[in-house]
Amino acid sequence: MDNQFFLDAGIPPLHFGSSLSSSLSPVMEIQSQDCFPTDYGLQYESALSSMVSSPASSNGNNMSSESLMMRELIGKLGSVGNSGEILHHSQPMLAAASSSCYSTPLNSPPKLNLPVPKSMGLKSGVADFSADPGFAERAAKFSCFGSRSFNGRRTQFGPKDNGEIAACRFNPPPVNVKLPRVSSSPAMKTLAANCREESTVSEQNPDPGFKGSNSRKRKAVPKAKTNETSPSPSPNSSKVTKLNEASNEKRCKLSKTNGNENGSGKAEEEDANGSNTKAPEPPKDYIHVRARRGQATDSHSLAERVRREKISERMKLLQNLVPGCNKVTGKALMLDEIINYVQSLQRQVEFLSMKLASVNTSLDFNVESLVSKDASISFKHFAESNIPNSAISPKLNTHLPQTQINRFIKTVPQYPSFCEGDLETLVQMGFGHNQSQEMALHSQNFQGSNQVSDMKVEL
Amino acid sequence: MDLHNLNPSSLKSRFTTRFLRALTEINARKPIASSSSPREIFQRYRRIKDAADTSMAYSVRSRRTWSKATLWRLRTPSHRRRLASFGRRSSLNKTRTTTTASHRGAVVVQITSRGGGLGVQLEELRELVPGGEAMDLCNLLDETAHYIKCLTTQVQVMRTIANLYSLE
Repeated sequence: MDNQFFLDAGIPPLHFGSSLSSSLSPVMEIQSQDCFPTDYGLQYESALSSMVSSPASSNGNNMSSESLMMRELIGKLGSVGNSGEILHHSQPMLAAASSSCYSTPLNSPPKLNLPVPKSMGLKSGVADFSADPGFAERAAKFSCFGSRSFNGRRTQFGPKDNGEIAACRFNPPPVNVKLPRVSSSPAMKTLAANCREESTVSEQNPDPGFKGSNSRKRKAVPKAKTNETSPSPSPNSSKVTKLNEASNEKRCKLSKTNGNENGSGKAEEEDANGSNTKAPEPPKDYIHVRARRGQATDSHSLAERVRREKISERMKLLQNLVPGCNKVTGKALMLDEIINYVQSLQRQVEFLSMKLASVNTSLDFNVESLVSKDASISFKHFAESNIPNSAISPKLNTHLPQTQINRFIKTVPQYPSFCEGDLETLVQMGFGHNQSQEMALHSQNFQGSNQVSDMKVEL
Repeated sequence: MDLHNLNPSSLKSRFTTRFLRALTEINARKPIASSSSPREIFQRYRRIKDAADTSMAYSVRSRRTWSKATLWRLRTPSHRRRLASFGRRSSLNKTRTTTTASHRGAVVVQITSRGGGLGVQLEELRELVPGGEAMDLCNLLDETAHYIKCLTTQVQVMRTIANLYSLE
């Protein structure tokens, strides 16, 4: 696939210097060995991407004489690129090649210290590309193809990153000069996206981040400033910072629910934020909270208010978690409900563990198979094996048949229907009285929490 | 519980695998004999309960205060725990205006009326949620929410396992 790109891109002939012919033979030699054609393809691509970055190299060479050799070379590389697998030892070679190549961009014969000496001669003329403007664009398109195969190969070669990063590191500085033209090409974007480099990408990235932090932190409006700065002396600033930041976070969420006059004020703030990103201000050290109409504005009450808002927000979350809490209003009743729910959950855990303790037969659990996709099959298997076991082993050792326990389980589906009176009667049906007394006696001896004594009653 | 869509890294699956391993280990150590007394059953029950709590706390990986407290509680022997808890509860003086009196390991914490009438329930909640003694209300509510979520998961899984065992 790559050779298609090579050939169809219509790349103007590259000036490889007179070493081209000599470089071809080593390429062929190396091809006969195990050494590695797709690497050459990669180097070629990286070389061409460096072409994009150095369009200003001013050798206006006459390419026509070398065009033929160039196309031959492209053909060779393309065919060579077809046949290759990945070779590991060529990777440092590539890294060295690309790094050395890019470190000396504009020297006409770059000094290349490569482990494979002669064949790299083809790189010697890389830097001597003409500053053809159309050439640069075509090269950009080509490196777009190249970078795509870069991507593909990137997954193949694990540690190829140094080659790429070397390429990318080189790219940004000159590219910035030609940024408006080159950035339009997808190559730059893919390269930049791939390399995750700061200089090209960083221009975009801090802006959203900056904007986000702006909207979160800097709701600074001159009006609020005058309100807040006078009553809040600097010792409080750090304290107010955190609280106000948190409150501003909340205000981002609750901004719709604020009052009308505040809504207009916040619209102003958000517009100011939008304009702020273009003219970045130095970050302020404390956050301004907008005081609502008719509320106290001193720092203590602000902090209190922030705290209260946090608490009420958490209570709302808890309301969603605890079933049947929608009708309850007020913190005290909510807390009661929450406490009851937590207690019931803990009791259920204890009851279930008691059940497991009594019911546990010596089954070999294949843990992985249980969690795997075909768990249903394993469950059926266990169920089948369970039946003869349970027939033999004592059910509860206290004459409580399994069916009773199942019925017990079914009567405790959820917290609201947890009726203790029914449970006691149900359980006492199954239990022999002496056994239940023994259980109670033994469980009394052990130091447990309240719930254990409750368990004693329930059982 | 739908097992086919089990996300291998979810809380439920982590807890399930750990708990099942613990269960098999407990079974292997002392297999149920036909003549196990209620005392043995009770011991086994304690072990299973501890295993369940430990495996749930492990699945949360001490990102949360309650999981850290649970693991600590299940690892430290009780006498060392009492000494440490005395120190911990007296540090509550910094977080809120309380007075602590301790006698023989029982720590009494009195909350002033600044709590706004929520004092008793707050105290109960602190007792219920492990590690909740030294937290302010805001974080306590956070911990409670996470704790409730994990408890429901635990109950679900254990119930399923128990049903599986008792399948007839």
